[in-house]
Amino acid sequence: MDTIQKYNEEELVLMLQRQDQQAFAYLYDNYAPALNGVIFRLVEDRSLSEDILQEAFLKIWNNFSSYDRTKGRLFTWMMNLTKNLTIDTLRSKGYKKQTKISGDENSVNNLQDTNSGAEKFDAMGIRKQLANLKADQRLVIDLAYFSGLTQDEIAKEIGIPLGTVKTRMRTALLELRRLLQYS
Amino acid sequence: MNTNDIISSGLLELHAAGLTSSTEASQVEQWLNEFPEVAAEYAAITAGLEAYAQSTGVQPSPSVKERIFQKINEDQIGRVVAMKESPVTIKTGGVPSFWRTAAAAAILLLLGSIALNIVNYNKYTQANKDLETSEQSLASLEEKNKLMEADMSVVQSKYSVPVALKGLEAAPDAAAKIFWMKNTGEVFIDPSNLPETPQGKQYQLWAIVDGKPVDAGMILTSKQGDKFRIQKMKSFGKAEAFAVTLETEKGNPTPEGPMFVMGKM
Repeated sequence: MDTIQKYNEEELVLMLQRQDQQAFAYLYDNYAPALNGVIFRLVEDRSLSEDILQEAFLKIWNNFSSYDRTKGRLFTWMMNLTKNLTIDTLRSKGYKKQTKISGDENSVNNLQDTNSGAEKFDAMGIRKQLANLKADQRLVIDLAYFSGLTQDEIAKEIGIPLGTVKTRMRTALLELRRLLQYS
Repeated sequence: MNTNDIISSGLLELHAAGLTSSTEASQVEQWLNEFPEVAAEYAAITAGLEAYAQSTGVQPSPSVKERIFQKINEDQIGRVVAMKESPVTIKTGGVPSFWRTAAAAAILLLLGSIALNIVNYNKYTQANKDLETSEQSLASLEEKNKLMEADMSVVQSKYSVPVALKGLEAAPDAAAKIFWMKNTGEVFIDPSNLPETPQGKQYQLWAIVDGKPVDAGMILTSKQGDKFRIQKMKSFGKAEAFAVTLETEKGNPTPEGPMFVMGKM
């Protein structure tokens, strides 16, 4: 049973809709580290992070029917589900991290620290290419995708007007995609 | 808004991050359906993000996967039971009580049968294990028996002439028995009452022929396993006596070590 099966996203989704456990194992193997990274950056605690990861995957399994392929990539759906679950967990626990999310000066540094911590677990060579991403571009991407901050909070965090957040993100993402050749 | 404006607005990036308001989100979804260029751009954005997230992943410990699968399997069993019960519980009003009872009985029977299967399976594996051990001990007994029979055939043969070898000065308590087959001249020795040999030494049997010791072979005295079995030595048409000396391993052409036992025909 050691055959290494590789599925494209469409096959994977079809199999998961039929509650295929083998497909789910494949999904886990391929996405658990990335999702765990997203959670870890929010909670900064490995064991809590893994508890939430478990919850997230159970949610993905149980609510798979609510994923709509026409609305976007599977990973985007899973990431947003995971992010929301993490933020809800932090809030329900009255977690201290809340104060960080409110956006004081320190949170920017903390976030960067976390990123360099995650570097140890880097699974892919993409890192090298990403080294060329400017620090402020990287920051806006991290804040938007991995911090749990709202648009408003991101604007405050970086110290730019709310209207500029979109364009900053656009520029940063374009650079990211250029570096990763996803343009 | 034309597609270029949509693409360059940055709203797609926000949407991918889940940061759009619900009005913005439905607007974006509408655009995605409407304009293939917008959909393609959105796909490229999310693919880039996915690669970025993959590159900054944190490997979870292996136990997480186990826990998840354990959980979904538990849930699945729960679901199967719930499905089986639901027709009974939901339609209680319309279903005659006989069928309700029958369905309940069927479920009970099913559960009982599953339990019985588990019990039987456990019994079966235990029985298999027991059988295996029995077979092993039987085989080793048969092996022993065969060796005993070989010993007995030597002792019981009508042609065998027993010669008792008695302990000498070097080992007064030692003893050995020779069985000489008078029809064939074969010589067997039972060395089970010889003391254990020291490291690097081995017993050698000598036949005394015409007053001179003649090498009759080395005696195997491994204490491991079935040691000191009756064993075949060199054959002699005639011999006056037999003696055993302690020699260096592999033996010597003439006896050099101390003599342990000796016996005359």
